Amino acid sequence: MRTKRFATLLVVLLAVAGMVFAGGGGQSTAAPAESKIVVNTMAYGDNSNAEGQSWVRIVESFERQNPNIDIQYELLYDEAYHQKVSARLAAGDVPHLAYMGADARWGAPWSESAQQVDHRPFLDGNYYDLGLIPPMGSNGEIWEIPLGTSNITTVLYMNGALVESLGFDTPETYADLVAMVPAARAAGLTVVSIDGADGWAWGSCLMSTFIARLSGDANWVSKAVAGQYKFTDQVFVDSLNLITRMVNDGVMDESAVLVDYGTNVANFSNGKALFMVQGQWAAGGIDPTVAENTLMLAWPQLPGEKPATAGTVAAAIQVGYGLTKAGAADPAVRDAALKFVQFYYSHEETAQRLIDGAIVAPILKNFQVPAELPTINKRKVTLAQTAGVTDVIDAFLGGAPNDALNAGMQQIAAGRATGTEVAAEVERLLGR
Amino acid sequence: MNRRDRQRVGIFLGMVAPGLVIYLFIVAYPIFYSVALSFSDFNPNAGGAWNLIGFTHYQTMIQDPYFWHSLKNNMIVVGVSVFGQIPLGLLLAYILYRKMVKGVNFFQSMVFLPQFLSTIVIGLLWRRMFSADGPVATLMQWFTGDPRAQFDLMLQADTVMYPIGFALIWMYTGFYMVIFLANMQKIDGEMLEAAMIDGANEVQVFFRLMVPLLAGTILVSTILAIAGSLKGFDLIFAITTQGLQRNNAMVLPIYMYQTAFQDFTNPMRFAYGSAISNAIVVVSFVLIGISNWVGKKLDPEEV
Repeated sequence: MRTKRFATLLVVLLAVAGMVFAGGGGQSTAAPAESKIVVNTMAYGDNSNAEGQSWVRIVESFERQNPNIDIQYELLYDEAYHQKVSARLAAGDVPHLAYMGADARWGAPWSESAQQVDHRPFLDGNYYDLGLIPPMGSNGEIWEIPLGTSNITTVLYMNGALVESLGFDTPETYADLVAMVPAARAAGLTVVSIDGADGWAWGSCLMSTFIARLSGDANWVSKAVAGQYKFTDQVFVDSLNLITRMVNDGVMDESAVLVDYGTNVANFSNGKALFMVQGQWAAGGIDPTVAENTLMLAWPQLPGEKPATAGTVAAAIQVGYGLTKAGAADPAVRDAALKFVQFYYSHEETAQRLIDGAIVAPILKNFQVPAELPTINKRKVTLAQTAGVTDVIDAFLGGAPNDALNAGMQQIAAGRATGTEVAAEVERLLGR
Repeated sequence: MNRRDRQRVGIFLGMVAPGLVIYLFIVAYPIFYSVALSFSDFNPNAGGAWNLIGFTHYQTMIQDPYFWHSLKNNMIVVGVSVFGQIPLGLLLAYILYRKMVKGVNFFQSMVFLPQFLSTIVIGLLWRRMFSADGPVATLMQWFTGDPRAQFDLMLQADTVMYPIGFALIWMYTGFYMVIFLANMQKIDGEMLEAAMIDGANEVQVFFRLMVPLLAGTILVSTILAIAGSLKGFDLIFAITTQGLQRNNAMVLPIYMYQTAFQDFTNPMRFAYGSAISNAIVVVSFVLIGISNWVGKKLDPEEV
């Protein structure tokens, strides 16, 4: 009987022990030493890309130099990152420091959970060039420290050598692009390539510039979201109808809606397209040989364009790392986090990001532009310095209306919807 | 209850409690939370008070065209699973069981192979197959002689489920084939031999012997297929690109995910997402109930 009881007790103890130890300890759950300040962080990247690899390297280097600070992090990328941000905030598991933005996509969850912190009191004016960090809140608040200056989303990349080989120059008007169509088709080339299978590319990289150019209002999108304009206004419908015109003119292929991001950049790198539509970040993905001959342009003059916004590009505030309210609540954690951020934004690391094409220009004071900067990145800086800036659609329009707009533009390109129908659906989903 | 019984009850509770506690926290609590959330206006991200608002989200849901579109696609996936994967798996298992082809082990491995691959990898593989100038488009260009021909079924809401259904069959048929094959091994071979001696051909043996004998397995497979089809998220998410393709191929789990995690314009998005996920559970129960009922009607003894 005693043996039976003992056996029963043993089984129960083992079961309980199993429950306790089954949880284990992961990368970000290891118990810290008591003397260490723990900065719980949500980082962006994964182990297979440069962002993630540099994150791990920088954290290890920082912790070696600062043994009293423990940067515990969760490293996620793309959809997984956005999903986890929503899930963690909804569960009340708020990190101290996180990769975040200030717009409708990157800033919305932090804004909704009231976790944004105004960084102005904490930013070292001797280290950061505060004049290069744009205000993000209605009262000039700075919700995060951007990795670089504005993030241009509507670049028209031009393969200079290929265009020249067909006997053309840099286009100044839309008609110049149309004029290239016969020669390009005869050579089996696409004139303007876009990763049209990705809905966001149509909004971020194309329509953001079309609506600004046709309306003559650099802030048309933000005003429309605020209710000053409607998406059913004729100028927006006309902007959408430009997609149809581009397909009909042969400037853009109907099959563009089947091309994804990787294929788009690969096609351009392989000389299958004269031009490519993408954001500034794609510069780093272009084959270095082609990149040497690649020009980064604002769109040429569009039909119906207003002079006020001629030559502009759409650009959003760059994302970066920022404190949360949870992180700012404890001065020791806050100071440790800001110390790490300054380390992460060091001149050396920023120079590397510039060389890799991850940012347009740094936000650091007394920054020396590296001499070995690739030609394409120098052109990127020139574009940023010379072109006027307009709103990026998904920086202001989020959720279902933005999804409907993106999918609608794909339908327009595929000849299955009109600009009027898509505009009406966006306005309907805004529910006003 | 004497002392000995009380001791037994104590031991019983001691044994059951750890599992029960885990169950309550990991399974029961999220279910009750989800149901409660769907009747409220609470946004866990924004915090604040819970206000019960009755069936508002369910009313919104039944008036939401995207919900019905997603449900329709889910039903197509269920149809492909139940009337595509299972019959095909059964047929392939029978062919291999009866050794109608040479290299039985080779074919068995090949058909089952997709089960060893990550669903995301399979999704990306098929996405590449269907992309512009991808393998399928190249074949079309070769057959038609039109260098601009493209495979565009993914761009239309009424055709998108054909390629996706094909990919689903390719991926899951091997799973059901192995289940059926394992159960066929348990059938007495002499029974089949006797039928053959009595003059039955392969078709008759298949339909009059094998199918009735495997009725229970078919029913279990059907329930697995229905449950898997309704909660299926990963393959369709990976095979489609963000935007038009995913909207066309939207199924309820993806719609729930997009609503709850991405639609920041809807302040009650988590509650509405919970209502959609509860609808998935209800639809699952209904379909599984119908399967059981049909199974019992067809062969009450086997089932």
